[in-house]
Amino acid sequence: MSVKRNVVLLFLGIALLLSCSDKQDFGQYDDLTITPTFETSIFYVKTQESIINRVTGISFFTQDFNFDAFEEDLFAERVLEGSITYELENTTSKDIEITIEFLNENGDVLDSEFFRMDAAPTALLTRVVAYGGTDKSLDILRNTSQIRLSARNLGDNTSTSGLPDAAVELRSSAKFMVRVK
Amino acid sequence: MKRSLSISFFTVLVCNFLWTQNKQILYDFNEIPQSLMVNPGVESDFKWYSGIPMISGISGYAGSNGVSVNDIFAEDGLDINDKIRDRMVNGMSRRDEFSGNVQLEILNIGFRSGNPSLFYSGGAYVEFDNITYWPRDYAQLIFDGNADQLNRRFNLGDLKTRGSLVTVYHLGVNKKVDKNLTIGARGKIYSGIVDYNSTRNSGYLVNTEGQNNILNTTLNADLQLRSSGFGQLDEASDNGTTGNTLIKRALFGGDLGLGVDLGFSYRLNEQTLFTASVLDLGFIYHSGDTQNYSLDGTASSEGIQINVLRELSNLNRDYWQDLVDEIEELVPFEENNSAYLTFRPTKVNASLRYDFGQPMGSSENCDCTIDASGGNEPRIAYRNSVGAHLFLINRPRGPQAAITGFYMRRFGNILALKATYTADKFSYTNLGFGLNLQAGPVNLYAMADNLLSYRNIAASNYASFQLGLNIISWGRK
Repeated sequence: MSVKRNVVLLFLGIALLLSCSDKQDFGQYDDLTITPTFETSIFYVKTQESIINRVTGISFFTQDFNFDAFEEDLFAERVLEGSITYELENTTSKDIEITIEFLNENGDVLDSEFFRMDAAPTALLTRVVAYGGTDKSLDILRNTSQIRLSARNLGDNTSTSGLPDAAVELRSSAKFMVRVK
Repeated sequence: MKRSLSISFFTVLVCNFLWTQNKQILYDFNEIPQSLMVNPGVESDFKWYSGIPMISGISGYAGSNGVSVNDIFAEDGLDINDKIRDRMVNGMSRRDEFSGNVQLEILNIGFRSGNPSLFYSGGAYVEFDNITYWPRDYAQLIFDGNADQLNRRFNLGDLKTRGSLVTVYHLGVNKKVDKNLTIGARGKIYSGIVDYNSTRNSGYLVNTEGQNNILNTTLNADLQLRSSGFGQLDEASDNGTTGNTLIKRALFGGDLGLGVDLGFSYRLNEQTLFTASVLDLGFIYHSGDTQNYSLDGTASSEGIQINVLRELSNLNRDYWQDLVDEIEELVPFEENNSAYLTFRPTKVNASLRYDFGQPMGSSENCDCTIDASGGNEPRIAYRNSVGAHLFLINRPRGPQAAITGFYMRRFGNILALKATYTADKFSYTNLGFGLNLQAGPVNLYAMADNLLSYRNIAASNYASFQLGLNIISWGRK
């Protein structure tokens, strides 16, 4: 039995003596950061000119929408920074104003974005609103539970645009960096 | 190069008791009883043998062909984030793998029948096996996200993983048909302890230009994860009965399966031997404690979409919840407990060996292999052998192959040495060495391969080592 044991020990000893390794630092794992950036559309609203002409008064559209995406733990607890991109297109014959308000659960306004566009023909209005760091606070998004969309017609209620399918279209997408590790 | 005893010791302990699925040193090393486990038709001349329980065979391997420990954790002053991004996220392909296999023999015995041309062997071992292919697109999605990658399809089929822990009970027979041909077969009963597999996935995630909104995000998924045994273990863990549950499932209390090993050795002439074997041609039926998860369907989203003209009378609905519900309906995440079947990772071996040099002992005092197998024409045992060995294993992304050249040297009936060179997807510089020592009835064998990696073991894609102890008798009938 001692022969077997000695041979085993000899083999292990040789393996120990012969095996070398560059110095490893497994503590580096703590320095690993994983912060991907994801991008997707948020909401799209289209209001046709025929609707605008039907509404008397300056405000032709006001609506609160439930929007829980930013409140989800996956986002709220991990978001680091990012931006929301808005694209506003007006092919109607009226000057318009759009206000987007971010509301918390109690209906309090946390932040707002205001857009004004002349009647068609106008170029596409694009705005990128940054959040995090020195930009707007991420807490605005984390606490957003609803979005209020308000639109005002600064023109008349009778004219029609010569463009096909005339409407006011608001597009939006979000691009945010989150911490995975 | 800085020698680090601590890492070497750790590596020896953790890695060196590991052995690749390809047992190229053991294969056709017929002085060792465990060679019957890789070819039931090996030429054997034992009268009987008995492995020392629990230490007759400890084997396994762990490896990655795409990256090594040293690539990531070397103290080289580089930022680990850059190393992981360059060498893994952007450096590895979906065919690169992380895999491991561990076998622990519980019992292994063999004896020659009253008919000396028949040799029976049997026993049990526990085997853990895993292979996970590098999920390249998942990694790139997790590290970089999908921003600013319009039309880039992230391939959800990159998820391929399979693993199991089973106890294998086996009984084999080895028959010497004539002087030139030996055949063998081994029946196996698998008692599955745990199993997980997710190998038939497909689909993609892509952002394209939206029709109405800025972006259109499409998820096309056909993903499935099947598992067995984890529910009972989880429950046992809560109750403090993990050990009992493991033993119960190892003793036919879990999933059951059947398999077979087949093999033969054929002498083309006195000095040339051709062998082949197919191992683990079998399946396991998983039932009783299965938990399966699936994500199947296609959904495209441009976010909340409100067309005021169309929805004038319905503007107060919950658009967000409706969107979530719609996506969940289109791509449902489902669970079920259906039984399922898995096939064992089948292995194929083939070798050609040429014996040469002076026979051990003169013809008058023939130091031939003692032919307990009943032949009246004892074979001459040559001192030297050279040959080649081919290994194939069935993997989720198709068969993997390894080719080995070997040289074997025998020193009487006491000592036999075998050196190998192997080329496979892990390494083109794999040199191996095996030793078989016969001290009276006590048989000790030790093997290691990928020896060049010992210069810097952390930089190795794998390292392996095997030890075993048997009691052998060649006593004449």
